[in-house]
Amino acid sequence: MQKRFTVFFGLLIIFILSVPVYAGAPMTVVETTVNRVLDVLRDPSLKSPAAKETKTEKLRVIYKDMFDEMEFSKRTLTRNWNKFTPAQRKEFVDLFERVMEKTYIDKILDYSSEKIVFYKETMVSENQAEIQSKIITSSKEIPIFYRMILKDGKWKVYDVVVENVSLVQNYRTQFNEILAGNTPEQLLEILRKKVKAH
Amino acid sequence: MKVYISWIVLFLILSAGSAPGLCLAARPIGAPADALSPQSVLPARTSDIPATSPKKPDNAIQDEYNDDKNLDYDDELSKEERITIADPIEPFNRAMHQFNDKLYFWALKPVAQGYKMVVPEPARISVKNFFSNLKFPARFVSCLLQSDFAGAATETGRFTINTVWGIGGLMDPAAGKELDLQKQDADLGQTLGVYGVGHGFYIVWPVYGPSSPRDSVTIIGDQFLYPPSYIYPWYINRGVWAYEKINHASLRIGDYESLIGAAIDPYVSIRDAYIQYRMKEVKARQARSVLFKNTGGDQTAKGLSQPEK
Repeated sequence: MQKRFTVFFGLLIIFILSVPVYAGAPMTVVETTVNRVLDVLRDPSLKSPAAKETKTEKLRVIYKDMFDEMEFSKRTLTRNWNKFTPAQRKEFVDLFERVMEKTYIDKILDYSSEKIVFYKETMVSENQAEIQSKIITSSKEIPIFYRMILKDGKWKVYDVVVENVSLVQNYRTQFNEILAGNTPEQLLEILRKKVKAH
Repeated sequence: MKVYISWIVLFLILSAGSAPGLCLAARPIGAPADALSPQSVLPARTSDIPATSPKKPDNAIQDEYNDDKNLDYDDELSKEERITIADPIEPFNRAMHQFNDKLYFWALKPVAQGYKMVVPEPARISVKNFFSNLKFPARFVSCLLQSDFAGAATETGRFTINTVWGIGGLMDPAAGKELDLQKQDADLGQTLGVYGVGHGFYIVWPVYGPSSPRDSVTIIGDQFLYPPSYIYPWYINRGVWAYEKINHASLRIGDYESLIGAAIDPYVSIRDAYIQYRMKEVKARQARSVLFKNTGGDQTAKGLSQPEK
């Protein structure tokens, strides 16, 4: 009897503890991903400028793994999504990804040794979470919040809030304004030009 | 018999205890439960809608690009940001935006870059701290007006400590780990916002940049509460002002460029960023204010900090 109770309480404790551990997942996902990015950036074998393409390729894989670009694209287009044909939607998602890469890849590759701190996880609903982090440089602190969504058992980032400005909201305002006076095809053309430029 | 009962009880307790964990893990894979919010139902829902495109073997991938009925995204996080501003003088604003853009790329940036090469970063940070310390009166008065007395006290403590121990404000020992007195970014336009005054409409001022009638109060109020504006004669006054701007820019080279680079329409992007930034600032300040702590400002803070609704 004594033994059985020990087992019983042991199992009970394990099950009770396993619930909060699950709730902590989104923060772990972001932290692990950011650490993977940092590992690539700090990799001594990739230090030479010639290895830039290899690095970019490696980062692209990580990005695809952590970023939910469908959710991101839909949230920026909202109801305009339905005005696009399926082929246009596909192109939009691809182009948008390349715009993001073009804009941020140099910034990311420029990373030297700034400290990144993750300090808060907020569950907004059962399948949505916000992770708060900050980058600390010598002259300033930049707050960066990751908004995540649980899909198919995996936490993925769908929005990044930098210094209180949500990327999704920012692009949504721009696309809304552009699509108020232009067709989806014209928006795609603007994006194509942006990807091609210099 | 006793053994059986205890096994049943054990099983019941275990299944009850592990239920949340199991449910959460099983849900995304299995059929979505009704308790889930609209977003997570998305992938499943889209497959119910008769596909507009002819059925293909790789339907699962194609489905993602189908029409979608749930595109309002009214969840708490995106709702709070859905904010726009009237822009009746857009042509003027766009012209001013162009002017400021050129001013940055043709004048401010080259000068700041040259200055950056000559002056090492720690010195530039000290200069920034020095000017920031002189803005204490504006922050202090705004904190008081917002009835954020803790903030006003923090600012007073910061000013005293940094002026005395930080060599006239060149260093910022108050923000260190031991004292942890953080700067209160309060200004007058934001104070009006805390009391519910709206932006009005969007204005881009030449040189000063994005603003609104409400936030322009900050620009004017600054003049009175900022000691260097009492410097005489005017050209030294303007020189000090320009120096502060150059020093500040030298620490943030690249920020404006990436903002512009990421934008599809830079003018709209900056307008939206400005509005979002100010709105969250006002909300954060409301949450600190003695008057608004238990009303609007706090509600959003609560919604964000509490996982369960």
